[in-house]
Amino acid sequence: MKKIINHPNSVVSELLAGMVKAHPSLQYAEGLEVISRRQKTLGKVGVVAGGGSGHEPAHAGYVGRGMLDAAVAGNVFSSPSPDRIIKGIEEANGGAGVLLIIKNYSGDIMNFGMAKDLAEMDDIPVESVVVKDDVAVPDSTYSTGRRGIAGTVFVHKIAGAKAQAGGTLQEVKAAAEKAIANIRSMGMAMSPCTLPAVGKPGFQLGENEVEIGMGIHGEPGVERTGIKTAAETAQILLDRILQDYDFSGSEVALLVNGLGATPLMELYILNNEIEKILTAKGISIHKTFVGNYMTALEMSGCSVTLMKLDDELKQLLDAPCDTPALTVL
Amino acid sequence: MGFQLTPADYVEYLNRAYQKIHENGDYVTELDSATGDGDHWSNINLGFEKLVEAAEELKTLSLFEEFKKIGTIMMSVIGGSSGVLYGSAYLGAAKVLKDKTVIENEDLCAVLGAMLEAIMSRGNAQPGFKTMIDCLHPAVECYRDSIANGLSERETIGKVRQAAIDGAQSTAAMEAIRGRAFYQANKGVGHLDPGAITMSYQIETLMDYLAEKL
Repeated sequence: MKKIINHPNSVVSELLAGMVKAHPSLQYAEGLEVISRRQKTLGKVGVVAGGGSGHEPAHAGYVGRGMLDAAVAGNVFSSPSPDRIIKGIEEANGGAGVLLIIKNYSGDIMNFGMAKDLAEMDDIPVESVVVKDDVAVPDSTYSTGRRGIAGTVFVHKIAGAKAQAGGTLQEVKAAAEKAIANIRSMGMAMSPCTLPAVGKPGFQLGENEVEIGMGIHGEPGVERTGIKTAAETAQILLDRILQDYDFSGSEVALLVNGLGATPLMELYILNNEIEKILTAKGISIHKTFVGNYMTALEMSGCSVTLMKLDDELKQLLDAPCDTPALTVL
Repeated sequence: MGFQLTPADYVEYLNRAYQKIHENGDYVTELDSATGDGDHWSNINLGFEKLVEAAEELKTLSLFEEFKKIGTIMMSVIGGSSGVLYGSAYLGAAKVLKDKTVIENEDLCAVLGAMLEAIMSRGNAQPGFKTMIDCLHPAVECYRDSIANGLSERETIGKVRQAAIDGAQSTAAMEAIRGRAFYQANKGVGHLDPGAITMSYQIETLMDYLAEKL
């Protein structure tokens, strides 16, 4: 294992400590692993997200004006515990209630659910939304179902903008729900990642092999196949997304996301292909984001996310925000 | 007279459960690596280690406060899914123990029942999902039946112990509905659920300890 770390047990606290040194508008609650805005807005709905670490810049990188008020970090690929989440809720609470943005994993659902119950006992109104954008997994109410992946960043943006605009807790929740209903993502992986505490890769892929639909913790995807060109990759990923949800004739926001080890050069090449396919299908791209927004340690690969826009979502997407990982002017 | 567990006795049980879990590290990690991400044992082991470290304080508390404290420690130390499930289980069980000074046969049945209910409700899970519930549920059912049928405490303890072990073993044939094993192509069929195994270690240890107290 080659990593720039001091000890596997201290990666989360040291990454967050390093982050606030680079971004002095943020503060860090050590031990509870919460990053929040130094400057609070009283009367504004607080927006909190979180989850396992290893997906940087998610989630702490999205804390700032116009997006999240607090982000709660768990251990690498493991949900934060309720006591940490409660600290995040307290930091984000400006007296108008708090919205929790949760990705659909068993551990996150349970820990955030417990924290919500405990916060309500302290009379903080809390609502939650669950992001499940990964079309590689069948949606199901019976099982754990669809995973939450890079599309979560759009939900942070939409909910954060609605809260910044003075929306009530119910309005912020409704905007987040609308975003979730209109977001679909699909990913692929080319090489594995290594959890610092485990020390060896969580899975193996052959030299010329890729896995379509792999999750951001290395969960199995839908198919292992030979390496593809950028044009073929764009086609495969978009086919799954467009089969799942009708984007025809609509305006979309596009996120071409890197999983950590894939160079921006390749992401831009992929974006070039995605634009051609979407344009040919009459889908108009309102705004494109290309970069490492929701990573999986040093996994190489990518995901593509589309969000279908209406006037409200477009306005919220375009509203200014200022965070370490996403700035809209 | 039947068994009676004081707060200090429960701490002694925790010590023994920690030993049992601790010495089976390699086996549980091996099970977990087959279907999960391999961190179940190290997390739950750390949780019990912290409980043992808190032993002196736990002994001084009422049963209600003791169980609440155990729940809080497990929740924050274990983390992930197991932490919140064990945390919920102990917080649920604490309610049953309000105003009790000792745990007797029927109390323990109620404690395990409350734990089962809390885990099922927090995990939104049922028996048959290939989880720790598949160990705890048959143990609780067996406990209730044994009391209803007027079995002696010694007989009850032996039957509950066996029901927990059999329940954990039954997970090998199940398809996972919750957790990461769900994403495996065969849903983990053929593999034991590590969470059910560590649950059975705890019930086994508890029943063996009770047998000594009779």
